[in-house]
Amino acid sequence: MSRITDLQKNLFGGTTSNARQFGMIFTLVAIVLLFQIWTGGLTLTSGNLIAVVSQYSYILILAIGMLMVIVAGHIDLSVGSVAAFTGIVVAKAMQEHDLPWPLGILLGLLVGAAIGAWQGFWVAYVGVPAFIVTLAGMLLFRGGNQYIGNADTVPVPEGFRKIGAGFLPEVGPDTGYNNLTLLLGVAACAGVVWREWKARRTRLEMKADTAPLWITGVRLAVMLGVIVFATLRFAGGRIGTSLPISGIILIVLVLVYSHYTRNTIGGRHIYAVGGNARAAELSGVKLKRVNFFVMMNMSVLAALAGMIFVARSSASGPQDGLSWELDAIAAVFIGGAAVSGGLGTVSGSIVGGLVMALLNNGLQLEGVGTDMVQIIKGLVLLLAVALDVYNKSQGRFSITGTLMRPFRRDEPSGTATVPDPAPDAGTAKVAG
Amino acid sequence: MRTSLIRTVAAVGAAALLTLATACSNEREGAAGSDSDGKGFAKDSLIGVALPSKTSENWVLAGDLFSNGLKDAGFKADVQYAGASTTVADQQAQISSMVTKGAKVIVIGATDASQLATQVKQAKEEGAVVIAYDRLITNTPDVDYYIAFDNFKVGQLQGQALVDGMKAKKPKGPWTIELFSGSPDDNNSKVFFDGAMQVLKPLIDKGDIVVGSGQTDIKQTAIQGWKAENAQQRMDSLLTSAYGGKKTLDGVLSPNDTLARAILTSVKGAGKPVPVVTGQDSEVESVKSIMAGEQYSTINKDTRKLVAETVNMIKALQKGEKPAINDTKSYNNGVKVVPAFLLPPVIVTKQNAAEAYANDPKLAPLTK
Repeated sequence: MSRITDLQKNLFGGTTSNARQFGMIFTLVAIVLLFQIWTGGLTLTSGNLIAVVSQYSYILILAIGMLMVIVAGHIDLSVGSVAAFTGIVVAKAMQEHDLPWPLGILLGLLVGAAIGAWQGFWVAYVGVPAFIVTLAGMLLFRGGNQYIGNADTVPVPEGFRKIGAGFLPEVGPDTGYNNLTLLLGVAACAGVVWREWKARRTRLEMKADTAPLWITGVRLAVMLGVIVFATLRFAGGRIGTSLPISGIILIVLVLVYSHYTRNTIGGRHIYAVGGNARAAELSGVKLKRVNFFVMMNMSVLAALAGMIFVARSSASGPQDGLSWELDAIAAVFIGGAAVSGGLGTVSGSIVGGLVMALLNNGLQLEGVGTDMVQIIKGLVLLLAVALDVYNKSQGRFSITGTLMRPFRRDEPSGTATVPDPAPDAGTAKVAG
Repeated sequence: MRTSLIRTVAAVGAAALLTLATACSNEREGAAGSDSDGKGFAKDSLIGVALPSKTSENWVLAGDLFSNGLKDAGFKADVQYAGASTTVADQQAQISSMVTKGAKVIVIGATDASQLATQVKQAKEEGAVVIAYDRLITNTPDVDYYIAFDNFKVGQLQGQALVDGMKAKKPKGPWTIELFSGSPDDNNSKVFFDGAMQVLKPLIDKGDIVVGSGQTDIKQTAIQGWKAENAQQRMDSLLTSAYGGKKTLDGVLSPNDTLARAILTSVKGAGKPVPVVTGQDSEVESVKSIMAGEQYSTINKDTRKLVAETVNMIKALQKGEKPAINDTKSYNNGVKVVPAFLLPPVIVTKQNAAEAYANDPKLAPLTK
C-alpha cells in the first residue's frame, strides 16, 4: 500500500465505515453549511441546535435499534405503534394510578421489553417473517393505544417531562455558559484524546504501522474543534437551556451500541446473521437468540423513544408515533446500511438521521411547506441509496466512487480489541 | 498531491470552525418573559402562523388569508401547515423554527392542542406572543390569547336547528335521533357537543326525543380525527344494529359538514329516508347538498372575519396596545383562564343561505 493512501486512511479512519457513510458525513457538513448561509446563520445558533436535538432525538434512538434489526436482515414496522402504546400506558399509569414518574419510566421499558419478547418470539422461534410480525404489531399496538387511551390525550406530570423537554441544571459559578454542558464537553475531549493515544499505543505494541504524529495531531484537532464548537453552542443557549436531557440519553445510547455492535462477540454475531444466516448458524452463532434479541431490543428502544416524545409533548395523544418507523428506516438506509442486511453502522445511521433532521429543520427555517419537505426527503433517500447501488453495480470508477475511495478501508485498524470487521466488507460485495 | 489536498481541507475546516465559533456570539440571556405587552415591536416583524394539515378547505383558506392579510399589514408572514401523516411532530418542529427565526407573534391552529406545551413555553421565553387560533392550547400557562368563533353557541345552534328541522318535517314527536361528535383530541368537540346537548337533553329527558341506539356519551359518539370514513362506519353500524326493519331515523346531530355528508351517504346506502342532519363550516359540497334539500343546516363561521380579527389583534400588539377581548372567564385551559375574543356564528339553512353567503365569492353562486 502506498504511503499516501495509508496516510489518508489514518487521517480519516478511526471507525469502520464504507463509502456511503463517509459520503453522508460530507453531505451532512454540506447541508449544515448550505443552510447556515441560506438562513443567514440561524442553523448553527444555540437555540436552533438545541431545538433540533430535542426534536429528533427520539427518531435517532429508533434508528439505533432499527440499524441492528436491518443488519440482522429484518425490518420493524411496529416501532411507531409500540412507542404510542407505551406512551399511553405510562401516561395513564401516572395520571390515573399516581405512579411516581421514575417508576413510570421503568414500567414503560418493561412494556417495551414485553412487546419485544412477543414479537421476537414470533420472528425467531416460530419463523414468521419480521415484516409480517411487525405489520401485525403496528395494527395491534395502534389499536391498543386507542383502546387504552380512548383516543384521548392524556397529560403527564412535570417530573416526567424532563426526559423529553428537560435540560441540565445551572450549577456552579457564572461562566456565561451552562457549566454541566461544559463539563460534558471537557469529558468528551478527554475521551477522544485518550482513545487516540490508546490506539497509538496498541499499534506500537503490536509493532504495526503507526501514522506520523502530525496526522494524529490534525485528526485530533478537527475532532476537538467540532466538540468544542458543539459544546459552546449547546452550553451558550438561553439561560435554563443546555444540551437537552434527551440528547444526553441519545449520546449514551450511541456510545453503548456502537461499542456493542463493533467490539463485542454478540454484536458481531448480528452482522454474521445478516450477512449469511445459514453460514453463521453453521459456525456456531445462535441464530434464534440473535433474532430474538434484535427484535426485543428494538421494542425497548421504541418504548424509550415513545416516552421521550410524550415527555416532550407533555401529553400522550392518539397521533403519537405515526410514521416514525419510516423516518427511522430512512435514516438507517441513508446512513449506509444494506437492504439485504449484514452491513451498516450505528454511527452511520445517526449521520443519516441527522441529514434528515437538518434538512427538515433548514427547510422549515426557510419557511418551505411540509409538502415540499416531504418531496425533498423522499428524493434524498432514493438518491442516497441509488448512488450506492449504482456504484457497486458499475464496479469501476465513478465520480463518487473515486471521491470516496480514499476513505474506504480494506483492513481494520484502531484498537487491537476490534474483532475482524471484515464481514462488513465481505457481505457488502455479496449484497451489492 | 493528495496529501496537500487533505492537509488543505483539514486546515480550512479547522479555520472555518474557529471562525464560526468566534463569530457566533453567545446567545445567553435571561428569559424575555411575557413583558411583551405594552411595548410593541417593529412594523415589519416576522409573524408565524402554524396550522394543522390541509385536511379541510377552511385551513387552506385561512392560510391564504393569513399570508395576504399579514403582508398587506406590512408584516413578514411565515405560514406553515403540518404534514399529512406526522402532524403533531411537524407542528412542534415548525413552531420551534418560528421561534428560532425570531417571530414576534405566533398564531397556532393546533393539531393536538394538548401536545404543544413545550414549544409554547419556548416561544414565550423568547418573547413571542402566542395566539391560539380556533383551538385552545391546553395545559400551559404560556398562551396569551384565544381567538375563535363562539363554539358553545355553535353547538346550541346545531341542537336548535336539529329540533326545528325535525318539527318542520314531522310536527309531532317523539323523534328518533342519533348523536355524533368530533375528534376527541380536539377540545372544540366537547364544546360543540355540550352546546347541542344543552338544547337536546331536556327533550331527551322528557321523552320527546329518543336516541335510537342509546349512545349519548361523548366517548361513544366521538369520531376520531374528524374523518369521514370513521363517521360512515359508525353510521353504518348504527343503522344495522338499531334501525333494522321499518324503524326510521328522524335526525342526526353532526358536528361538521364532512361528517354530515358521510352520514347522509351511509343513510342513503341503507335505503332509509333522509333524516335532518346538521353541520358546520359551510363547505362547498354541503352548501350544494343543503340547496338540494338533503343536508338540513350548516354553520357559517366566516374564516375571513376570523383571520381579519386575528390580524387586527396582531396589529394592536405591534403598536403595544392591548388587543380587544370579549371573554375573560369561559376558556380555562387547565392552567389558566385564557383571555378570548369570540365571534358569533350564524346558522344557515336553505331559507337563509342566499342571504348568509351573499359576500362569499365561492358560495354565493351556489345559493341562486
